Amino acid sequence: MARREPSTAGEAAAGAAPRAARLGEALNRLARRLPLHVSVIGLAAIWSIPTIALLVSSFRDPGLVVTSGWWNAVKDPFEFTFGNYETVLERQGMARSFVNSLIITVPSTMLVILVAAMAAYAFAWMKFPFRNALFLVVVGLLVVPLQMTLIPVLQLYVNLNDWFGFLGNDMPLLGGRLFGTNSYAGIWAAHTAFGLPFAVYLLRNFFGGLPRDLFESAYLDGASDLRVFFRIVLPLSMPAIAALAIFQFLWVWNDLLIALILLGDPDRAPMTLTITNLVSSFGTAYQLLTAAAFISMALPLLVFFALQRYFVQGILAGAVKG
Amino acid sequence: MATVTFERVTKRFSQDSPLAVTDFSLEIPDKEFLVLVGPSGSGKSTVLRLLAGLEEITEGKIFIGERLVNNIAAKDRDIAMVFQSYAPYPHMSVYDNLAFGLSLRNVAKEEIRGRVEDAAQILGIKELLKRKPRALSGGQRQRVALGRAIVRDPAVFLLDEPLSNLDAKLRVQTRAEISKLHQRLGTTFMYVTHDQVEAMTMATRIAVLDRGLLQQVGTPQELYERPRNIFVAGFIGSPAMNFFDASVNGSGGGMELETKQFTVPFPDKRKKELAPYIGKTVVLGIRPENIHDREFQPGGLRAGYVKATVDVTEMMGNEAILYLLVDDKQFLARVDPRTRARPGQPLELALDLDAMHAFDGETQLAIGG
Repeated sequence: MARREPSTAGEAAAGAAPRAARLGEALNRLARRLPLHVSVIGLAAIWSIPTIALLVSSFRDPGLVVTSGWWNAVKDPFEFTFGNYETVLERQGMARSFVNSLIITVPSTMLVILVAAMAAYAFAWMKFPFRNALFLVVVGLLVVPLQMTLIPVLQLYVNLNDWFGFLGNDMPLLGGRLFGTNSYAGIWAAHTAFGLPFAVYLLRNFFGGLPRDLFESAYLDGASDLRVFFRIVLPLSMPAIAALAIFQFLWVWNDLLIALILLGDPDRAPMTLTITNLVSSFGTAYQLLTAAAFISMALPLLVFFALQRYFVQGILAGAVKG
Repeated sequence: MATVTFERVTKRFSQDSPLAVTDFSLEIPDKEFLVLVGPSGSGKSTVLRLLAGLEEITEGKIFIGERLVNNIAAKDRDIAMVFQSYAPYPHMSVYDNLAFGLSLRNVAKEEIRGRVEDAAQILGIKELLKRKPRALSGGQRQRVALGRAIVRDPAVFLLDEPLSNLDAKLRVQTRAEISKLHQRLGTTFMYVTHDQVEAMTMATRIAVLDRGLLQQVGTPQELYERPRNIFVAGFIGSPAMNFFDASVNGSGGGMELETKQFTVPFPDKRKKELAPYIGKTVVLGIRPENIHDREFQPGGLRAGYVKATVDVTEMMGNEAILYLLVDDKQFLARVDPRTRARPGQPLELALDLDAMHAFDGETQLAIGG
């Protein structure tokens, strides 16, 4: 691997005389890249407008929202309110839904990563019969549209409701039933299953790109597969795993369909479901909808900005070597 | 401390692929430094990996000491291996790299510390223990790889082309250090390389492989002086041996070897071996160092003389390498640096008849020898 040498010595030697020349060079470079910068910034601005509109509207007075466009917010009357947020959080149950969303999303993300990483390790580095055929099946599952599976899964869950019925309907930690419809465990399992094919595919390719010598070296050092997995593969694959975590987190967080089908109970509804209900009951109360929508966006935005370095790295890492 | 024995080991990677290693038998005594040498694709790395347990044996047996290891997992064979890429764990410090194998074997913390520090001392990497591999140079990484093997105190030490990623100067230096390490540890070493110079300089014995077949095993000197066949003769020694197709002429007392380019009498002591080949073709081999500039030939040399045209001269200071042409046949000579050979000029050369090799043209095996 090439090592970058600091070039401070060279820069110090350059001195004051060529400073003007360097300035000219910098300006020249800026001029050449100006069209690029303008178009990138322009695109970013266009893409951000809806979000900005949402944010601005959510802080406006209900009366103003329906009478004037959001861009008028900077003009007179210059007034903003937290009232919309108070309303949706307290009276419309968005606070509870936020917690529900977390309860659904965090385990669904962690389960996918744990299971997929172990499966991907086996597919990439362990020898067992039908390995490639099985991997092909897993990749093939990527093609199956999620919607196709909803009815069979729902039927299965309804049957499970019967089988687990004797346990009653209020398991304290699981928020209702042990498994089946209207249970957290049920929706975790569904999200995990739907997320696995892509996760296994992505991680297998990443693991497969790790140098073979590392594994062999570790085997000779006396490591079992489990040790190699935890001590070598996981630490080295953090970029790919972080990227996958972000993807999966966003999918589950933004999911409406699966929650709608498998989790009808408003007490356990995630934010997506609550917002949908808001739309149907307050179709014109834009100030409430925008506030609710922004609450649901807040966490993904935070996650994205915190981990964006991994996000970009991980996408590349998965794609380069297979 | 262990003897390693290969008994008729064969390796086939898949049903319809050719054999990677064929009928390989070899006994490596305890504390020997055995070098496996051969061109790429000769199966030398495969032999090493079979011993390490990284590949499964198709047929045959491998023993380490008295123990049959065919079905023993790599980690239980008491073997340490240095990889060509060094394969340091990138996310661990040098200390943790060295300690990894020991901690997996539940060695006590204090003992690990002691052994890691000893190994670091031997290799001169004590001040690097806290660094990560990416902050190390190639030579330092190579030491870390060696250190990882040393701390384990294995019965057999395997090295797979450990020097090929180093620059020329460092390679020469590390070569000597590995030899020293072998003497110091007193462990059986098995070392794979494609570089015959490495093989010659480090080995107790060399095993030459070609296309999965063991060609010859012997000390460097034996291989150099008495190569068993044309392949070994051409592979060992640098620059490589020159070969000429020759026919054996003569009867009674006056036998001679006639090539297209020249005719030389041949020494009395070889006459008996070559007698059956009269009228047949053989391959004559002579090393560049056994061809002298006639002007500076050593005294007492029994020589055959050849006139050739000098094509290229390489002056090395202590010697001169001449690229010579007779008709269209090129051959090399390693002559006294005082030579007056100039490109394009003719030169008379003396071939040391006693140092000539002869090979059967069909079987490629050495005649007599």
